[in-house]
Amino acid sequence: MVTIEIDGKKIETESGKMIIEVADAHNIPIPRFCYHKKLSIAANCRMCLVEVEKSRKPLPACATPVADGMKVFTQSQQAIISQKAVMEFLLINHPLDCPICDQGGECELQDVSMGYGPDISRYTEEKRVVDDENLGSLISTDMTRCIQCTRCVRFGEEVAGFRELGATDRGENMQIGTYVKSGMRSEISGNIIDLCPVGALTSKPYRFTARAWELTQANSIAPHDCLGSHIYLHTRRQEVMRVVPKENEALNETWLSDRDRYSYAGLNHDRVDVPLINNNGIWQETDWSTALNTIVEKLRLVIEKSGAEQIAALASPSSTVEEFYLLQKLMRGLGSHNIDHRLKQCDFSDQTHASIYPHIDFPYADLENKEAILLIGSNIHSEQPLAAVRLRKAVLRGASAWVINPVDYDMHFPVKKSDITTALVEHTAKIAKALLEDKPADIPAGAEALLTTIHVDSGAKEIAHALKKANKAVVILGAIAEQHPQAATLRALAHTIGHLSGARIVIFTEGANSAGAWLAGAIPHREAAGKSVAKFGLTARESLEAKLKAYILFGIEPELDCANPHLALEALKNADFVVVMSAYKNKEMTKYADIILPITPFTETSGTFVNLSGIWQSFQGCVPPFSEARPGWKVLRVLGNFFDLPDFEYASSEQVSDELKALTETINLAKGYSWYFPKSLKESSHSLQRIAEWPIYRIDSLVRRSEPLQRSATLEPLGVRMNGKTAENLQLKANDMALVQQNDNEVNLPVIIDARIPDNVVGVAAGYAETAHLGDTFSEIIVKKA
Amino acid sequence: MIDEQKNTVVLSKEILQEIDTWVEKYPPDQKQSAVLFALTLVQEKHGGWLTEALMDAVADYLGMPRVAVYEVATFYSMYDLKPVGRHKIHVCNNISCMLRNSDEVIQHLENKLDIKVGQTTADGKFTLKTAECLAACANAPMMQIDKTYYEDLTKEKIDKILEQFD
Amino acid sequence: MKKITEYFRYYLKTFFLWELFQGLKVTLRYFFKRKITVQFPEEMTPISPRFRGLLALRRYPNGEERCIACKLCEAVCPALAITIEAEPREDGSRRTTRYDIDMFKCINCGFCEESCPVDSIVVAPIQHYHMENRGENIMTKEKLLAIGDLMEERLYADREADAPYR
Repeated sequence: MVTIEIDGKKIETESGKMIIEVADAHNIPIPRFCYHKKLSIAANCRMCLVEVEKSRKPLPACATPVADGMKVFTQSQQAIISQKAVMEFLLINHPLDCPICDQGGECELQDVSMGYGPDISRYTEEKRVVDDENLGSLISTDMTRCIQCTRCVRFGEEVAGFRELGATDRGENMQIGTYVKSGMRSEISGNIIDLCPVGALTSKPYRFTARAWELTQANSIAPHDCLGSHIYLHTRRQEVMRVVPKENEALNETWLSDRDRYSYAGLNHDRVDVPLINNNGIWQETDWSTALNTIVEKLRLVIEKSGAEQIAALASPSSTVEEFYLLQKLMRGLGSHNIDHRLKQCDFSDQTHASIYPHIDFPYADLENKEAILLIGSNIHSEQPLAAVRLRKAVLRGASAWVINPVDYDMHFPVKKSDITTALVEHTAKIAKALLEDKPADIPAGAEALLTTIHVDSGAKEIAHALKKANKAVVILGAIAEQHPQAATLRALAHTIGHLSGARIVIFTEGANSAGAWLAGAIPHREAAGKSVAKFGLTARESLEAKLKAYILFGIEPELDCANPHLALEALKNADFVVVMSAYKNKEMTKYADIILPITPFTETSGTFVNLSGIWQSFQGCVPPFSEARPGWKVLRVLGNFFDLPDFEYASSEQVSDELKALTETINLAKGYSWYFPKSLKESSHSLQRIAEWPIYRIDSLVRRSEPLQRSATLEPLGVRMNGKTAENLQLKANDMALVQQNDNEVNLPVIIDARIPDNVVGVAAGYAETAHLGDTFSEIIVKKA
Repeated sequence: MIDEQKNTVVLSKEILQEIDTWVEKYPPDQKQSAVLFALTLVQEKHGGWLTEALMDAVADYLGMPRVAVYEVATFYSMYDLKPVGRHKIHVCNNISCMLRNSDEVIQHLENKLDIKVGQTTADGKFTLKTAECLAACANAPMMQIDKTYYEDLTKEKIDKILEQFD
Repeated sequence: MKKITEYFRYYLKTFFLWELFQGLKVTLRYFFKRKITVQFPEEMTPISPRFRGLLALRRYPNGEERCIACKLCEAVCPALAITIEAEPREDGSRRTTRYDIDMFKCINCGFCEESCPVDSIVVAPIQHYHMENRGENIMTKEKLLAIGDLMEERLYADREADAPYR
């Protein structure tokens, strides 16, 4: 500890800190441009010059470590003179175009120049002009305004781990750019907009549409991944104008993924405005009470004729806790347990063994302190862009990371070894087996029997021992592991590895609120708060396979959201009665639905998401519902009333979540995973396999409608991806049209040669209308020349 | 990366071997230290200037972000990013040479070659560039053609020097 | 003594209608003075170049609208009479797609003109305007520009005249 004095104020602080950090902690303002607490120190803007006693020259506060007895003056004449001089230099080449600059009103340079800038420029020479870069559909550039603080460059290098921007040329000609003309591909690139202290980098979808002072700020929770980043929704005249991050050290730090930042652009596309009813093939607009009465009548008819088990509800994993709770209450009130939110999964065999709800048992922020990381089946940068930032931090701090993936996804952090294989289970099993061979005392029953046929190799041993040796190790299961046909086995193996090595398990669940869905009972085998059910309902997959009489779809587009879209469409088209509650309409919907009820996206309803740490995060709607649309929980509540179900009298969404919360408080939420092992490991198939992931901007109805995200360079183009060797075997070349066949359905897609994909595997993404008639995401596929 | 289907260059074995001799001089985790030499070598072997594809190849070989190589190549005046002539003339215009009338030298060269600074003659023989101090102040004014220094320049001397090249 | 003469003068003045004639003297003076009555509406009073009446949006001499959608007028308007929406025009420049002034709200304070960095929105010297139908109180961008086009010469002259005092 050292004692320093800033502006006469005595401050005790840790040694090694920089003056600016100490000043910030004590609310002493020092102007700055290049310094940012989350980035390395560059000290190249010189704006933070302060006077230090016994120093001949003013020193940059961001790069001067504190020393005992140091006396700092931030407001002395020398400090002010230096700061004013720097300001004058910075303004030499900065254009005076504040009136047309989007940063105007929230610009650090504007603010600081109000305090330190001269009224009149003494500079009479020519000003510098820099050509603009095209950074893609998300970020717009006005590089003449750049003051070369290099925050964006450092962000790419240090935080994103994917350096696309650089400072080319030198001296007066130095400019920030990509040099090659290309759009940015980082999935967290939008953060450089927040970092840029001037208007050089601004948001393209937001460009010129609003001013900072017109916007009303509302707190909300990001609705696209299980992290639940804190966000601000900026609204003007009851319209969401943009989304910016709200600082939260425990979750998203100061960052936000592009997906959460730009999905708002899709909020008002293809909205259903009034309840629609299918009257013998003709779609008619109707009012709410007619629509709800028809639903009651038709569903009662189904129940009378074939029983309540013939009704199933499928909900989006990004629905709110309230919606899940009321939907399951409605379904169970009608007498059916067929409710599920796990649309993208296909292996449910361990569902009774699962913990009360998926969550991690350590603080999420602790992810960056892990020493060994094993990533199984996860394109982490695409699935959880901000969790990947934490992992990168851990790796830069010295952690070792290993990856077992079916595709050699680009990792923006150094990986010790990547196992690229379609046999995820086998490779994971090897690590578990390696741990078993150490003869631990407490072996889960069934593990040994399952792993008898597995032979350990040196690579698996290395990983196993590193996991065991590390004080803090973590095994991460990503979306690909969750959607794998043998997901239960993978989970069992991951838990075995965790159990034997002491590593913690992280499962990155799909959607924003899978945890909430489990707690609220939007699963067929447990009611709200984990209460078990006597006779299990059908899982998402089973209810589609069973071709039931009636379906209730909540916030989903089954052909884009289900593990087997073909199966889903067949089931829905055969059903007698399909109710769709959705904010968005699409063409396919009108073919199978009988009634479409307009509900609202997250900006227009209050609700709660439970994130991966098990934190309940509530938010309020910040704009009124679009046209006749109503919040999902209200629709479900009124539908409950129309069915005369008991206890459906809620006046607010808080009442619903409070009721569920009270239920969860009576049980032991920490009740964990109980062992489940399948009898044997399945042989991996030798025929051509399809690997389908949901690309980063195709995961839910909202992002799919965000046009800037769809045009972003981050989203890889759709096609049949295969490596050169597979292409040769199939006699295909790049850009050929290939005929892709699954379940007697075929589509034509262009061939894309992608060296990251292993032999005898093709990658055909899910979540596109073009692939909506194909079958299972992980299964055999036929590809030939069209 | 998948979008790298654009024209890529494969560096020849000899070049890579030579780069390796420089890589070995640095700690294994600081391979990028060899970038200056690598770029110089690659430029020399590929017609005196660097294309994006060549820089990408160097970046990939040294495991650096591509933009980091672009930064280096644009920073130093000894790398050319546009096609150049067979011989590069660098005339020093820093203080010592300037005081000894390097401006006249540049003017003379411009007139004689009928090009401006930064341009290449129509026959592709010479590219004329100015340079900051090349550390031959004792014999200012001076210029460098390819790798040779020519000092104490006068108009007559320059004419004679230029005749040697083809 | 004094009291008696006062009394006497008072009666004399009253008797000869002295004050009436004094009043008529003023009338007589104005009878011969130059007349200032204006035959409204056939005639109008001259108005100051600073008169703050109806608003207008100006253009540059080349026909390009001046407004760049900076929204300062909207921010400064004390009556919240201005509503602006903007987006990038096809050529990438910042332009309004909607510029509405509610004349029922407008208090003709002229702050919008003061705040405008490009002299686009101006308070024009138009004092007589009326609305007959609902909705006509909203001055749209088209109307404002039309007024600007009609009045441009006058607006320019007024601003020139006032320039030395600003």
